[in-house]
Amino acid sequence: MENKIPLYLIEIGDNQVNPSKIRRANLSFLDKTIINSSKALKSIYLQAENAARDNFIQEINPKVKFISLIYMAIVISVVSNLVTQEFITAFIFSLYVIARLKIFGVFKKIFFLAFIFGFLVVLPASLNVITPGKIIFNIISFNKPSHFLIYNIPQNIGFTINGLQVVSIVFLRVFNSVSFALLVVYTTPFPSFIKSFKMIGVPDTFLMIISLAYKYIFILSRTIEETYFAFKSRLSGNIKSSNIRKLIGGRIFFIFKRSMIIYQDTYHAMVSRGYRGKVVLHSQNHFTFKDVVALLIIFISGIVFILF
Amino acid sequence: MHIPDGYLSPQTYIPLYGVFAAAVTVAVKKVKKEVSARDIPYLGMAAAFSFIIMMFNLPIPGGTTGHAVGSAVIAILFGPWAAVVAVSVALIIQALIFGDGGITAIGANCFNMAVFMPFTAYYVFRLFNFNPTRKARVFFAAFISGYLSLVMAAILTGIEFGIQPLIASSTDGKALYCPYDLKIAVPAMALEHMLLFGIVEGLITAIIVRYFLRNEPGIIYAFRKGGKNENE
Repeated sequence: MENKIPLYLIEIGDNQVNPSKIRRANLSFLDKTIINSSKALKSIYLQAENAARDNFIQEINPKVKFISLIYMAIVISVVSNLVTQEFITAFIFSLYVIARLKIFGVFKKIFFLAFIFGFLVVLPASLNVITPGKIIFNIISFNKPSHFLIYNIPQNIGFTINGLQVVSIVFLRVFNSVSFALLVVYTTPFPSFIKSFKMIGVPDTFLMIISLAYKYIFILSRTIEETYFAFKSRLSGNIKSSNIRKLIGGRIFFIFKRSMIIYQDTYHAMVSRGYRGKVVLHSQNHFTFKDVVALLIIFISGIVFILF
Repeated sequence: MHIPDGYLSPQTYIPLYGVFAAAVTVAVKKVKKEVSARDIPYLGMAAAFSFIIMMFNLPIPGGTTGHAVGSAVIAILFGPWAAVVAVSVALIIQALIFGDGGITAIGANCFNMAVFMPFTAYYVFRLFNFNPTRKARVFFAAFISGYLSLVMAAILTGIEFGIQPLIASSTDGKALYCPYDLKIAVPAMALEHMLLFGIVEGLITAIIVRYFLRNEPGIIYAFRKGGKNENE
Protein backbone atom coordinates (compact mmCIF):
# COMPACT_ATOMS: atom_id res chain seq x y z
CA MET A 1 0.00 0.00 0.00
CA GLU A 2 1.31 3.45 -0.92
CA ASN A 3 2.57 5.72 1.80
CA LYS A 4 0.10 8.62 2.00
CA ILE A 5 1.73 10.55 4.82
CA PRO A 6 2.31 14.13 3.60
CA LEU A 7 5.96 14.99 2.98
CA TYR A 8 6.00 17.92 5.42
CA LEU A 9 5.30 15.49 8.26
CA ILE A 10 8.18 13.18 7.29
CA GLU A 11 10.87 15.75 6.44
CA ILE A 12 12.98 17.31 9.15
CA GLY A 13 13.01 21.05 8.69
CA ASP A 14 15.56 23.62 9.86
CA ASN A 15 13.73 24.31 13.07
CA GLN A 16 13.08 20.66 13.81
CA VAL A 17 15.41 18.14 15.38
CA ASN A 18 15.57 14.46 14.57
CA PRO A 19 14.00 12.88 17.67
CA SER A 20 16.50 10.01 17.61
CA LYS A 21 19.42 12.45 17.89
CA ILE A 22 18.09 14.51 20.79
CA ARG A 23 19.89 14.00 24.04
CA ARG A 24 16.83 13.55 26.12
CA ALA A 25 16.33 13.99 29.80
CA ASN A 26 13.26 12.88 31.62
CA LEU A 27 11.33 14.98 34.06
CA SER A 28 11.85 12.71 37.05
CA PHE A 29 13.76 15.39 39.00
CA LEU A 30 10.87 17.82 38.48
CA ASP A 31 8.53 15.12 39.70
CA LYS A 32 10.75 14.84 42.78
CA THR A 33 10.52 18.58 43.30
CA ILE A 34 6.76 18.50 43.07
CA ILE A 35 6.60 15.46 45.36
CA ASN A 36 8.83 17.28 47.86
CA SER A 37 6.57 20.34 47.72
CA SER A 38 3.60 18.09 48.19
CA LYS A 39 5.27 16.36 51.15
CA ALA A 40 6.00 19.75 52.67
CA LEU A 41 2.35 20.62 52.33
CA LYS A 42 1.27 17.36 53.94
CA SER A 43 3.79 17.89 56.72
CA ILE A 44 2.20 21.26 57.46
CA TYR A 45 -1.25 19.64 57.44
CA LEU A 46 -0.01 16.98 59.84
CA GLN A 47 1.51 19.57 62.12
CA ALA A 48 -1.68 21.63 62.19
CA GLU A 49 -3.75 18.49 62.82
CA ASN A 50 -1.63 17.30 65.76
CA ALA A 51 -1.25 20.75 67.27
CA ALA A 52 -5.02 21.14 67.45
CA ARG A 53 -5.53 18.01 69.59
CA ASP A 54 -6.49 18.27 73.24
CA ASN A 55 -3.61 16.84 75.20
CA PHE A 56 -1.31 17.78 78.08
CA ILE A 57 1.64 18.75 75.87
CA GLN A 58 -0.50 20.33 73.13
CA GLU A 59 -2.19 22.56 75.72
CA ILE A 60 1.05 23.96 77.16
CA ASN A 61 1.61 27.66 76.45
CA PRO A 62 3.72 28.13 73.27
CA LYS A 63 6.01 30.46 75.25
CA VAL A 64 6.88 27.60 77.61
CA LYS A 65 7.54 25.33 74.64
CA PHE A 66 9.76 27.94 73.02
CA ILE A 67 11.82 28.39 76.22
CA SER A 68 12.02 24.61 76.55
CA LEU A 69 13.20 24.25 72.96
CA ILE A 70 16.05 26.71 73.38
CA TYR A 71 16.96 25.32 76.81
CA MET A 72 16.97 21.70 75.67
CA ALA A 73 18.90 22.54 72.48
CA ILE A 74 21.63 24.06 74.66
CA VAL A 75 21.53 21.14 77.13
CA ILE A 76 21.85 18.61 74.28
CA SER A 77 24.71 20.58 72.75
CA VAL A 78 26.75 20.75 75.99
CA VAL A 79 26.24 17.17 77.21
CA SER A 80 29.22 15.10 76.02
CA ASN A 81 28.50 11.90 77.90
CA LEU A 82 27.12 9.08 75.78
CA VAL A 83 24.98 7.54 78.54
CA THR A 84 23.44 10.92 79.41
CA GLN A 85 22.57 11.47 75.75
CA GLU A 86 20.81 8.09 75.79
CA PHE A 87 18.81 9.20 78.84
CA ILE A 88 17.85 12.35 76.96
CA THR A 89 16.67 10.16 74.04
CA ALA A 90 14.49 8.15 76.44
CA PHE A 91 13.16 11.35 78.05
CA ILE A 92 12.17 12.84 74.69
CA PHE A 93 10.60 9.58 73.57
CA SER A 94 8.45 9.52 76.72
CA LEU A 95 7.27 13.05 75.84
CA TYR A 96 6.24 11.77 72.39
CA VAL A 97 4.23 9.01 74.05
CA ILE A 98 2.51 11.53 76.35
CA ALA A 99 1.77 13.79 73.36
CA ARG A 100 0.17 10.82 71.53
CA LEU A 101 1.84 11.73 68.26
CA LYS A 102 2.05 9.36 65.29
CA ILE A 103 5.37 8.05 66.54
CA PHE A 104 6.23 5.82 63.56
CA GLY A 105 5.81 8.59 60.99
CA VAL A 106 7.68 11.23 62.99
CA PHE A 107 10.55 8.94 64.01
CA LYS A 108 10.98 7.76 60.41
CA LYS A 109 11.74 11.35 59.52
CA ILE A 110 13.97 11.85 62.59
CA PHE A 111 15.96 8.67 61.83
CA PHE A 112 16.40 9.74 58.21
CA LEU A 113 17.78 13.17 59.19
CA ALA A 114 19.95 11.77 61.99
CA PHE A 115 21.28 8.99 59.74
CA ILE A 116 22.33 11.43 56.98
CA PHE A 117 23.70 14.30 59.09
CA GLY A 118 24.61 12.54 62.30
CA PHE A 119 25.96 9.24 61.01
CA LEU A 120 27.00 9.15 57.34
CA VAL A 121 28.72 12.53 57.39
CA VAL A 122 30.72 11.78 60.55
CA LEU A 123 31.35 8.08 59.93
CA PRO A 124 34.91 8.67 58.56
CA ALA A 125 35.72 10.24 61.95
CA SER A 126 35.58 6.76 63.47
CA LEU A 127 38.79 5.90 61.61
CA ASN A 128 42.22 6.43 63.18
CA VAL A 129 43.11 8.79 60.28
CA ILE A 130 40.83 11.39 61.87
CA THR A 131 40.44 10.27 65.49
CA PRO A 132 43.65 8.68 66.78
CA GLY A 133 43.37 5.80 69.20
CA LYS A 134 43.65 2.05 69.55
CA ILE A 135 42.37 0.27 66.42
CA ILE A 136 39.65 -2.26 67.25
CA PHE A 137 38.82 -3.24 63.66
CA ASN A 138 41.46 -3.00 60.95
CA ILE A 139 40.24 -2.12 57.43
CA ILE A 140 43.42 -1.75 55.38
CA SER A 141 47.18 -2.10 55.92
CA PHE A 142 50.01 -0.53 53.90
CA ASN A 143 53.72 -1.44 53.83
CA LYS A 144 54.69 1.74 55.62
CA PRO A 145 53.16 5.08 56.72
CA SER A 146 53.09 7.68 53.95
CA HIS A 147 52.50 11.37 53.39
CA PHE A 148 50.14 12.84 50.77
CA LEU A 149 50.04 16.63 50.32
CA ILE A 150 49.23 17.88 53.84
CA TYR A 151 47.88 14.53 55.07
CA ASN A 152 49.66 11.80 57.02
CA ILE A 153 48.50 8.28 56.15
CA PRO A 154 49.27 5.68 58.87
CA GLN A 155 50.37 2.13 58.09
CA ASN A 156 47.10 0.64 59.38
CA ILE A 157 43.70 2.22 58.90
CA GLY A 158 40.75 1.08 61.00
CA PHE A 159 38.01 1.95 63.46
CA THR A 160 39.05 3.22 66.88
CA ILE A 161 37.09 3.24 70.17
CA ASN A 162 37.57 6.99 70.45
CA GLY A 163 36.35 7.44 66.87
CA LEU A 164 33.22 5.36 67.42
CA GLN A 165 32.48 7.36 70.58
CA VAL A 166 32.77 10.62 68.61
CA VAL A 167 30.38 9.30 65.92
CA SER A 168 27.93 8.06 68.57
CA ILE A 169 27.86 11.35 70.45
CA VAL A 170 27.33 13.41 67.27
CA PHE A 171 24.62 11.01 66.08
CA LEU A 172 22.76 11.19 69.41
CA ARG A 173 23.07 14.98 69.53
CA VAL A 174 21.55 15.31 66.06
CA PHE A 175 18.88 12.71 66.86
CA ASN A 176 17.90 14.31 70.17
CA SER A 177 17.88 17.86 68.84
CA VAL A 178 15.76 17.00 65.81
CA SER A 179 13.34 14.90 67.88
CA PHE A 180 12.84 17.61 70.53
CA ALA A 181 12.43 20.33 67.88
CA LEU A 182 9.85 18.27 65.98
CA LEU A 183 8.03 17.44 69.23
CA VAL A 184 7.55 21.16 69.87
CA VAL A 185 6.65 21.90 66.26
CA TYR A 186 4.15 19.04 65.99
CA THR A 187 2.38 20.02 69.20
CA THR A 188 2.18 23.78 68.69
CA PRO A 189 0.27 25.79 66.08
CA PHE A 190 2.97 27.52 64.06
CA PRO A 191 1.57 31.10 64.27
CA SER A 192 1.36 30.88 68.10
CA PHE A 193 4.83 29.40 68.25
CA ILE A 194 6.24 32.23 66.12
CA LYS A 195 4.64 34.85 68.40
CA SER A 196 6.52 33.37 71.35
CA PHE A 197 9.78 34.52 69.70
CA LYS A 198 8.88 37.96 71.10
CA MET A 199 10.19 36.78 74.45
CA ILE A 200 13.79 36.99 73.26
CA GLY A 201 13.30 40.40 71.66
CA VAL A 202 12.63 39.39 68.05
CA PRO A 203 10.85 42.41 66.54
CA ASP A 204 7.16 42.15 65.59
CA THR A 205 8.00 43.08 62.00
CA PHE A 206 10.27 40.08 61.59
CA LEU A 207 7.70 37.76 63.18
CA MET A 208 5.02 39.10 60.85
CA ILE A 209 7.27 38.32 57.87
CA ILE A 210 7.77 34.75 59.11
CA SER A 211 4.00 34.28 59.57
CA LEU A 212 3.24 35.66 56.11
CA ALA A 213 6.00 33.60 54.45
CA TYR A 214 4.64 30.48 56.14
CA LYS A 215 1.19 31.14 54.68
CA TYR A 216 2.56 32.05 51.25
CA ILE A 217 4.58 28.81 51.13
CA PHE A 218 1.40 26.91 51.84
CA ILE A 219 -0.43 28.62 48.97
CA LEU A 220 2.51 28.53 46.55
CA SER A 221 3.15 24.83 47.07
CA ARG A 222 -0.37 24.08 45.91
CA THR A 223 0.00 26.45 42.96
CA ILE A 224 3.20 24.68 41.86
CA GLU A 225 1.61 21.26 42.09
CA GLU A 226 -1.50 22.24 40.15
CA THR A 227 0.32 24.10 37.36
CA TYR A 228 2.94 21.39 36.97
CA PHE A 229 0.43 18.59 36.61
CA ALA A 230 -1.63 20.72 34.22
CA PHE A 231 1.53 21.20 32.16
CA LYS A 232 2.54 17.53 32.33
CA SER A 233 -0.89 16.35 31.25
CA ARG A 234 -0.34 18.16 27.93
CA LEU A 235 3.10 16.64 27.41
CA SER A 236 3.91 13.42 25.55
CA GLY A 237 7.30 11.74 25.80
CA ASN A 238 10.47 13.34 27.06
CA ILE A 239 11.83 16.80 26.36
CA LYS A 240 15.30 18.20 25.72
CA SER A 241 17.50 19.23 28.68
CA SER A 242 17.73 22.80 27.37
CA ASN A 243 13.94 22.98 27.33
CA ILE A 244 13.87 21.70 30.89
CA ARG A 245 16.08 24.60 31.97
CA LYS A 246 13.72 27.01 30.17
CA LEU A 247 10.80 25.27 31.83
CA ILE A 248 12.31 25.69 35.30
CA GLY A 249 13.05 29.37 34.61
CA GLY A 250 9.49 29.82 33.38
CA ARG A 251 7.97 28.00 36.35
CA ILE A 252 9.97 30.05 38.85
CA PHE A 253 9.04 33.27 37.03
CA PHE A 254 5.40 32.19 37.07
CA ILE A 255 5.64 31.50 40.82
CA PHE A 256 7.14 34.93 41.28
CA LYS A 257 4.26 36.56 39.38
CA ARG A 258 1.73 34.58 41.42
CA SER A 259 3.59 35.63 44.58
CA MET A 260 3.35 39.27 43.52
CA ILE A 261 -0.41 38.99 43.01
CA ILE A 262 -0.86 37.26 46.38
CA TYR A 263 1.32 39.84 48.10
CA GLN A 264 -0.64 42.74 46.57
CA ASP A 265 -3.94 41.12 47.59
CA THR A 266 -2.56 40.56 51.10
CA TYR A 267 -1.43 44.16 51.32
CA HIS A 268 -4.87 45.46 50.26
CA ALA A 269 -6.57 43.11 52.72
CA MET A 270 -4.27 44.38 55.49
CA VAL A 271 -4.91 48.03 54.58
CA SER A 272 -8.68 47.42 54.63
CA ARG A 273 -8.24 46.05 58.19
CA GLY A 274 -6.37 49.12 59.37
CA TYR A 275 -2.73 48.36 58.52
CA ARG A 276 -0.73 51.61 58.25
CA GLY A 277 2.81 50.22 58.10
CA LYS A 278 3.24 49.55 61.83
CA VAL A 279 3.14 45.96 63.00
CA VAL A 280 1.96 45.08 66.52
CA LEU A 281 1.36 41.44 67.40
CA HIS A 282 -1.10 40.74 70.20
CA SER A 283 0.36 39.13 73.29
CA GLN A 284 -0.68 35.60 74.16
CA ASN A 285 -2.56 34.20 77.15
CA HIS A 286 -0.97 34.01 80.60
CA PHE A 287 0.85 31.10 82.20
CA THR A 288 -1.29 28.48 83.96
CA PHE A 289 -0.32 26.07 86.73
CA LYS A 290 0.17 23.38 84.06
CA ASP A 291 2.65 25.61 82.21
CA VAL A 292 4.68 26.24 85.37
CA VAL A 293 4.79 22.48 86.11
CA ALA A 294 5.92 21.72 82.53
CA LEU A 295 8.61 24.40 82.71
CA LEU A 296 9.88 23.06 86.04
CA ILE A 297 10.04 19.48 84.73
CA ILE A 298 12.09 20.57 81.71
CA PHE A 299 14.32 22.86 83.77
CA ILE A 300 15.10 20.24 86.45
CA SER A 301 15.62 17.53 83.82
CA GLY A 302 18.10 19.75 81.99
CA ILE A 303 20.07 20.41 85.19
CA VAL A 304 20.14 16.67 85.96
CA PHE A 305 21.35 15.87 82.43
CA ILE A 306 24.16 18.41 82.66
CA LEU A 307 25.31 17.31 86.14
CA PHE A 308 24.92 13.57 85.49
CA MET B 1 25.35 23.60 53.73
CA HIS B 2 22.65 23.42 56.40
CA ILE B 3 24.58 22.80 59.62
CA PRO B 4 22.66 20.44 61.94
CA ASP B 5 22.67 20.53 65.73
CA GLY B 6 25.64 18.89 67.39
CA TYR B 7 28.32 20.09 64.97
CA LEU B 8 29.06 23.50 66.46
CA SER B 9 30.17 24.28 70.01
CA PRO B 10 28.44 27.01 72.06
CA GLN B 11 31.63 29.09 71.62
CA THR B 12 30.81 29.19 67.89
CA TYR B 13 27.03 29.24 67.66
CA ILE B 14 26.39 31.89 70.33
CA PRO B 15 28.57 34.62 68.70
CA LEU B 16 27.12 33.73 65.28
CA TYR B 17 23.60 34.17 66.70
CA GLY B 18 24.69 37.64 67.82
CA VAL B 19 26.10 38.59 64.43
CA PHE B 20 23.01 37.28 62.67
CA ALA B 21 20.64 39.15 65.02
CA ALA B 22 22.53 42.42 64.40
CA ALA B 23 22.49 41.86 60.62
CA VAL B 24 18.73 41.14 60.57
CA THR B 25 17.96 44.21 62.70
CA VAL B 26 19.86 46.43 60.26
CA ALA B 27 18.34 44.61 57.27
CA VAL B 28 14.73 45.13 58.43
CA LYS B 29 15.40 48.86 58.94
CA LYS B 30 17.15 49.23 55.57
CA VAL B 31 14.44 47.38 53.65
CA LYS B 32 11.64 49.33 55.34
CA LYS B 33 13.29 52.52 54.11
CA GLU B 34 13.58 51.20 50.57
CA VAL B 35 10.16 49.68 49.94
CA SER B 36 7.57 51.86 51.73
CA ALA B 37 4.65 50.63 53.86
CA ARG B 38 4.10 47.64 51.61
CA ASP B 39 7.34 46.11 52.88
CA ILE B 40 5.94 43.47 55.22
CA PRO B 41 3.93 41.39 52.73
CA TYR B 42 6.64 42.08 50.14
CA LEU B 43 9.30 40.53 52.35
CA GLY B 44 7.03 37.65 53.26
CA MET B 45 6.62 37.00 49.56
CA ALA B 46 10.39 37.19 48.98
CA ALA B 47 10.94 34.69 51.82
CA ALA B 48 8.37 32.29 50.40
CA PHE B 49 9.95 32.71 46.97
CA SER B 50 13.37 31.93 48.45
CA PHE B 51 11.95 28.84 50.16
CA ILE B 52 10.38 27.62 46.92
CA ILE B 53 13.63 28.15 44.97
CA MET B 54 15.36 25.84 47.46
CA MET B 55 12.82 23.18 46.50
CA PHE B 56 13.69 23.16 42.78
CA ASN B 57 16.15 20.40 42.05
CA LEU B 58 18.29 20.59 38.92
CA PRO B 59 19.89 17.59 37.17
CA ILE B 60 23.67 17.36 37.62
CA PRO B 61 25.97 15.30 35.34
CA GLY B 62 26.23 11.83 36.84
CA GLY B 63 22.52 11.29 37.27
CA THR B 64 22.02 13.08 40.56
CA THR B 65 20.26 16.36 41.34
CA GLY B 66 21.03 19.31 43.55
CA HIS B 67 19.15 22.37 44.74
CA ALA B 68 20.16 25.97 44.95
CA VAL B 69 20.23 28.02 48.15
CA GLY B 70 18.72 30.91 46.21
CA SER B 71 20.54 33.65 48.11
CA ALA B 72 22.33 34.92 45.00
CA VAL B 73 19.22 35.23 42.87
CA ILE B 74 17.24 36.83 45.72
CA ALA B 75 20.08 39.35 46.27
CA ILE B 76 20.17 40.28 42.55
CA LEU B 77 16.38 40.50 42.23
CA PHE B 78 15.45 42.11 45.57
CA GLY B 79 18.72 43.58 46.85
CA PRO B 80 21.16 42.21 49.46
CA TRP B 81 19.36 43.56 52.55
CA ALA B 82 16.01 42.15 51.44
CA ALA B 83 17.84 38.87 50.77
CA VAL B 84 19.14 38.87 54.36
CA VAL B 85 15.56 38.99 55.69
CA ALA B 86 14.00 36.71 53.05
CA VAL B 87 16.59 33.93 53.15
CA SER B 88 16.77 34.08 56.98
CA VAL B 89 13.02 33.58 57.23
CA ALA B 90 13.17 30.69 54.73
CA LEU B 91 16.00 29.05 56.70
CA ILE B 92 14.21 29.51 60.05
CA ILE B 93 11.05 27.90 58.67
CA GLN B 94 13.12 25.07 57.19
CA ALA B 95 14.86 24.44 60.51
CA LEU B 96 11.67 24.56 62.58
CA ILE B 97 9.24 22.72 60.32
CA PHE B 98 11.42 20.36 58.31
CA GLY B 99 14.40 19.82 60.64
CA ASP B 100 16.70 20.98 57.83
CA GLY B 101 19.46 22.71 59.84
CA GLY B 102 19.76 22.73 63.61
CA ILE B 103 18.08 24.97 66.18
CA THR B 104 21.40 25.89 67.78
CA ALA B 105 22.87 26.34 64.30
CA ILE B 106 20.20 28.76 63.02
CA GLY B 107 22.49 31.73 63.68
CA ALA B 108 25.42 30.09 61.85
CA ASN B 109 23.29 28.91 58.92
CA CYS B 110 21.66 32.31 58.55
CA PHE B 111 25.00 34.07 58.80
CA ASN B 112 26.53 31.85 56.08
CA MET B 113 23.62 31.64 53.66
CA ALA B 114 21.51 34.71 54.44
CA VAL B 115 24.12 37.35 55.32
CA PHE B 116 27.51 36.43 53.84
CA MET B 117 26.24 34.80 50.65
CA PRO B 118 23.80 37.47 49.36
CA PHE B 119 26.32 40.28 49.85
CA THR B 120 29.06 38.29 48.12
CA ALA B 121 26.71 37.45 45.23
CA TYR B 122 25.38 40.98 44.87
CA TYR B 123 28.80 42.65 44.81
CA VAL B 124 30.30 40.02 42.50
CA PHE B 125 27.36 40.66 40.11
CA ARG B 126 27.89 44.42 40.36
CA LEU B 127 31.64 44.00 39.70
CA PHE B 128 30.91 43.16 36.08
CA ASN B 129 29.53 46.66 35.52
CA PHE B 130 27.74 45.78 32.29
CA ASN B 131 24.89 47.03 30.21
CA PRO B 132 21.64 45.09 30.92
CA THR B 133 20.93 44.82 27.16
CA ARG B 134 23.88 42.44 26.77
CA LYS B 135 22.01 39.35 27.84
CA ALA B 136 24.88 36.87 27.43
CA ARG B 137 27.04 38.89 29.81
CA VAL B 138 24.19 39.19 32.30
CA PHE B 139 23.78 35.40 32.16
CA PHE B 140 27.53 34.93 32.70
CA ALA B 141 27.65 37.48 35.54
CA ALA B 142 24.67 35.87 37.26
CA PHE B 143 26.25 32.42 36.93
CA ILE B 144 29.58 33.61 38.37
CA SER B 145 27.90 35.46 41.24
CA GLY B 146 25.82 32.40 42.16
CA TYR B 147 28.78 30.06 41.78
CA LEU B 148 31.33 32.15 43.69
CA SER B 149 28.99 33.16 46.50
CA LEU B 150 28.05 29.55 47.23
CA VAL B 151 31.65 28.31 47.07
CA MET B 152 32.81 31.10 49.40
CA ALA B 153 29.94 30.44 51.81
CA ALA B 154 30.87 26.74 51.74
CA ILE B 155 34.49 27.60 52.59
CA LEU B 156 33.22 29.75 55.48
CA THR B 157 31.11 26.82 56.70
CA GLY B 158 34.20 24.58 56.35
CA ILE B 159 36.17 26.98 58.57
CA GLU B 160 33.39 26.93 61.18
CA PHE B 161 33.51 23.12 61.14
CA GLY B 162 37.30 22.97 61.06
CA ILE B 163 37.88 25.11 64.13
CA GLN B 164 35.73 22.85 66.35
CA PRO B 165 38.50 20.33 67.22
CA LEU B 166 40.72 23.30 68.13
CA ILE B 167 38.26 25.02 70.47
CA ALA B 168 36.26 22.12 71.92
CA SER B 169 37.99 18.83 72.68
CA SER B 170 37.89 16.52 75.69
CA THR B 171 40.89 16.06 77.99
CA ASP B 172 41.96 12.94 76.06
CA GLY B 173 41.89 14.87 72.75
CA LYS B 174 38.56 13.54 71.45
CA ALA B 175 36.50 15.99 69.39
CA LEU B 176 33.31 17.01 71.19
CA TYR B 177 31.63 18.54 68.14
CA CYS B 178 32.54 18.41 64.44
CA PRO B 179 35.47 15.98 64.39
CA TYR B 180 37.07 17.22 61.17
CA ASP B 181 39.88 19.76 61.41
CA LEU B 182 40.58 22.59 58.96
CA LYS B 183 42.76 20.36 56.74
CA ILE B 184 39.76 18.12 56.06
CA ALA B 185 36.66 20.30 56.50
CA VAL B 186 37.72 23.21 54.27
CA PRO B 187 38.89 21.18 51.22
CA ALA B 188 35.88 18.85 51.54
CA MET B 189 33.36 21.69 51.62
CA ALA B 190 35.18 23.69 48.93
CA LEU B 191 35.63 20.82 46.45
CA GLU B 192 32.08 19.53 46.80
CA HIS B 193 30.66 22.99 46.14
CA MET B 194 33.17 23.91 43.42
CA LEU B 195 32.49 20.77 41.42
CA LEU B 196 28.79 20.21 42.10
CA PHE B 197 26.54 22.53 44.05
CA GLY B 198 28.26 25.74 42.93
CA ILE B 199 27.37 24.87 39.34
CA VAL B 200 23.75 24.26 40.33
CA GLU B 201 23.58 27.57 42.21
CA GLY B 202 25.20 29.39 39.28
CA LEU B 203 22.84 27.82 36.74
CA ILE B 204 19.71 28.48 38.79
CA THR B 205 20.79 32.10 39.36
CA ALA B 206 21.60 32.64 35.68
CA ILE B 207 18.41 30.98 34.38
CA ILE B 208 16.13 32.98 36.66
CA VAL B 209 17.93 36.31 36.12
CA ARG B 210 17.82 35.77 32.33
CA TYR B 211 14.10 35.02 32.49
CA PHE B 212 13.43 38.17 34.51
CA LEU B 213 15.62 40.21 32.18
CA ARG B 214 13.57 39.10 29.18
CA ASN B 215 10.17 39.48 30.78
CA GLU B 216 10.36 42.10 33.54
CA PRO B 217 13.78 43.77 33.69
CA GLY B 218 12.42 46.63 35.82
CA ILE B 219 12.05 44.31 38.81
CA ILE B 220 15.77 43.46 38.99
CA TYR B 221 17.21 45.42 41.93
CA ALA B 222 20.83 45.15 40.73
CA PHE B 223 19.90 47.13 37.59
CA ARG B 224 18.05 49.77 39.56
CA LYS B 225 20.81 50.54 42.04
CA GLY B 226 23.83 52.62 41.02
CA GLY B 227 26.61 52.37 38.44
CA LYS B 228 26.20 51.57 34.78
CA ASN B 229 23.70 48.89 35.73
CA GLU B 230 21.19 51.52 36.73
CA ASN B 231 18.30 51.71 34.27
CA GLU B 232 15.96 54.08 36.04
